[in-house]
Amino acid sequence: MKTVREGLLSAAGLCILVVLASAPAHGFPAFARRTGLRCTSCHESWPVLNDFGRAFRDNGYQLRLGKDVPTENPFAFWPVAIRITPHYAYNTVTGQETDQGKKTLTTGGIADGAMDLLVGGNLNQNVSYLVVPTGFASDGAVSLESYWVYFTRPLADSDWLNIRVGKHEVDLPVSAHRSINLTNPYLIYGYHPAGDQDVAGVFSLGSNQRGVEVLGHDRGSFLRYSVSLFNANDSPGSRNAWDSPSAYGHVQKYWRLDSYGVSEVELGAFGAYAQYPTKTLTLNGQPLAGTGGDLRPSERYGLEGSILLGPAETPLRLELVLASGKDDKDLYQGAALRDGTWNGGFFEAIWVPPTDGLHWGIFGRYDYIRNSKQPLDVAKDTNDQDQFTIGVKYTLAFLNRDEYALHFEYSTDRMKRMAFDGSDLRVGTLFGGVDFAF
Amino acid sequence: MRNSSFALILAALLATAACVPAFADERPGDPRHGKLVYQRYCLSCHGDLGNGQGEFAQWITPRPRDYRQGTFKWRSTPSGALPTVDDLEKTIRDGVYGTYMPTWFAIGHRARLDVIAYIQQFSDRWKTEKAEAGIEIPAEPPNDAASIDKGKKLYVALKCAQCHGDQGQADGVSAHELKDDWGNIIEPADLTATPSYKCGDTARDIYRVFMTGLNGTPMPSFVSQISKEDAWDLAHFIWSLRPGGANHPQPPAVGAVAGH
Repeated sequence: MKTVREGLLSAAGLCILVVLASAPAHGFPAFARRTGLRCTSCHESWPVLNDFGRAFRDNGYQLRLGKDVPTENPFAFWPVAIRITPHYAYNTVTGQETDQGKKTLTTGGIADGAMDLLVGGNLNQNVSYLVVPTGFASDGAVSLESYWVYFTRPLADSDWLNIRVGKHEVDLPVSAHRSINLTNPYLIYGYHPAGDQDVAGVFSLGSNQRGVEVLGHDRGSFLRYSVSLFNANDSPGSRNAWDSPSAYGHVQKYWRLDSYGVSEVELGAFGAYAQYPTKTLTLNGQPLAGTGGDLRPSERYGLEGSILLGPAETPLRLELVLASGKDDKDLYQGAALRDGTWNGGFFEAIWVPPTDGLHWGIFGRYDYIRNSKQPLDVAKDTNDQDQFTIGVKYTLAFLNRDEYALHFEYSTDRMKRMAFDGSDLRVGTLFGGVDFAF
Repeated sequence: MRNSSFALILAALLATAACVPAFADERPGDPRHGKLVYQRYCLSCHGDLGNGQGEFAQWITPRPRDYRQGTFKWRSTPSGALPTVDDLEKTIRDGVYGTYMPTWFAIGHRARLDVIAYIQQFSDRWKTEKAEAGIEIPAEPPNDAASIDKGKKLYVALKCAQCHGDQGQADGVSAHELKDDWGNIIEPADLTATPSYKCGDTARDIYRVFMTGLNGTPMPSFVSQISKEDAWDLAHFIWSLRPGGANHPQPPAVGAVAGH
């Protein structure tokens, strides 16, 4: 039992560090420089996309005004931008085991931030791309978070078939890379029940996946679908022709109501079936990469709904996403008694007050996880989680060159029975910084 | 909180969505909301003062519309008149091909009406002039070879080539001397180069331009010079010049380009 808790405690701590050290992703001023549009055109409250931004993205970063090919751009235009958030973070962890007993640890300071280098645009009419090296923190590590090419209307003059090839974020109900909050991730995307994590703790909908996405939509992207076939993230690799064959699907429908009271309603459904090998060939007792077999699934299924209250240009967006997840017991390398299953979700509110200049963004979110079957012989509610986030963002300047904003946020996460002595583990983060993209 | 509780909320959302037609709001635009729509989508080109001098304006041609004069190119109304709200919404909804004016289809009808109401506040013309109705456009006659041939003759007779060129390629003798009412250099449309014209994609759109002219530009209205039948013939000829059109000229040989 202690091993389980220690493993999860370490994992929780690692998650916190990863989140705090990672630069938030996509807000892309290079598009603003190319199109002349301010960030507010595409982002409801930066970096959350609005309807126009969603349509622009689904159309392959094209406005279809006869100016999408690179030769139509000014010669001096470079499709490159950066985003980084210099910030102060104050973290508390209760229930920490030390040689001196149970302690509450606090740390604070200007964080060792990371950065996204965003490179993206169009290679030709109906061919777009995105390359995102990320990292650049003091450890010197850089990885490619995204790299893909997107063919718009490749087979017919129809928006219902577009193809993306490469490492991409699957089409989530709410983007894990375009979240307005900067501390806690959406729990349902990467949660796994308690246990010897091993392979079972790897799959995350929030991680970008290597594969092919087929996406289609109507005019304005009010009805849209996406199907991704991919290698499950961080799989050790199998002998299959398609590495660790996995799939994700998502469908969304938006109803524009054109009312000041309720301006839009949206419903959707999503599901993922990711597979990981549970046995590998070995050399000198060590697993050989790419030799995995006996694939076993990690699954996610869910429903989503959102509603925009007030005018769509200054809305109160209420978003609800529910999900269930299951990890096959064999993913726990024989340690599990049964499959691990859970239910969870989040409720997010983002409000853009109707003030002159649209500078404010006020947000809050509640995430929860409730385990329904534990793979190991532990209490059913072990590692049930409740996570709250509140924050405010004040954008100092919207230009068609850059955007920078003051960002303040507080979040807290309670992980039930996860302290070393069986009590609840609580983690809190106070965050304040300048979020900018240029 | 349990998933079953949240499922009830999703069901409520679904019920709300089912009531969409009941919420449809056809009230006139509200300029107070329109100002926020304008700030979100329009400001970088059209400017805080509606003078067409936003931060991006200096980099682009044609220049963004200066709203203070109440002068608009794309209208269904007679030459010199203000456009209708429908005209303005068409421009906002469909964009203007070949310019930096995007297709604001996704922002919705309500937001477009509101921003139009706000734009109308930049010029006193909207307060002092009575709105005129759009011109009547008769049913389109057959778009056939005979009509196109007649249109070609009218193209010559009306001296369209002076600006648009003999082949419609925007290389007429006056093509590089044109300015709009704001003193900006503008170019005549190359009728052969793009699949879409700024005024729209159909022969009906082209007909409308002949009869209304483009306010603020050297493109006049021909309503007093040609009959409706002639206007359709001319529209069919222009329409045929588009890529893929019946009369689209073949690209010149490489040597001819070099010689030019």
